[in-house]
Amino acid sequence: MKTEAPRRYPVYVPKVPRTWWLRSAPFLRFAAREFTAVFAAAFSVILLLFLSALSEGRDAYAGFLRWLRLPGIAAFSAIILAAVLYHALTWFRLTAHIQVIRLGGKVVPRGIVVAALIVVWMVVSTIVAYLHVWF
Amino acid sequence: MEPPRLDELSLGDILDTSDAREVKSGMPRARRRRGPGLRQLLQPEPMFWGLFSAGGFVAALLVPVHVAILGVAFAAGWLPQDALSYDRVVDLVRDPIAKLYLLGLVSLPLFHWAHRFRFAVHHQLGIHGGRRLIGLACYGTALAGTALTALVLLRT
Repeated sequence: MKTEAPRRYPVYVPKVPRTWWLRSAPFLRFAAREFTAVFAAAFSVILLLFLSALSEGRDAYAGFLRWLRLPGIAAFSAIILAAVLYHALTWFRLTAHIQVIRLGGKVVPRGIVVAALIVVWMVVSTIVAYLHVWF
Repeated sequence: MEPPRLDELSLGDILDTSDAREVKSGMPRARRRRGPGLRQLLQPEPMFWGLFSAGGFVAALLVPVHVAILGVAFAAGWLPQDALSYDRVVDLVRDPIAKLYLLGLVSLPLFHWAHRFRFAVHHQLGIHGGRRLIGLACYGTALAGTALTALVLLRT
């Protein structure tokens, strides 16, 4: 059987504009999800500054607490909180999609997985808050 | 010459050639497939993805309550008076388990950001060149943050 050389056809690859993710709500939500990571990292930096001030002594620590109370920083923290909460909820939703959990031959519905993760989140938050504030 | 189709052979033909058609003895020996070697196991990309995933869970489960307490509740004055006093916090942080927890709390979201940002630069910002440099910068930053945190925690 004779084999022919494969025919080459020109392939059209459309140029994707840089603003492709601004064009629809699902794309925007995807970009927002990715961007929340920046706020999580920003809080990591704030925590690092907190621990650094703590290690340097009382004066540095008091100065840091004063900085933390500035209205600009408090507003930024509120933005971080909103971003991180959005990250948490979307993360749970994606986890339910990625991880299929089977119990006794049946698949656990995704809504229940998300609800379970939210319950875990609430329990963990309570424990951490107790240790952080009242312990 | 083409081999004869089975339905064209007579029984005599089949019996005559039965020696050649015989299935040789035994099942084929199961050959041990070599598992992944060390080089395959130590590929960087899955490790970065693993750190990204762990960081995502820390950022989802642990970071919100910390932001709520340190960022919002403290500035709003909702915390008890001495909740963040120097002596109390230093005592909390000096515990070795607390230090491990804090290391993870600071470090893993940084790796989460690094992995996400590395791809976001390519996908969202449309910057296509310098991939290796961007990756190095992102993970390098996360590593530097981790090292700094470890240093600070050891000094406290």
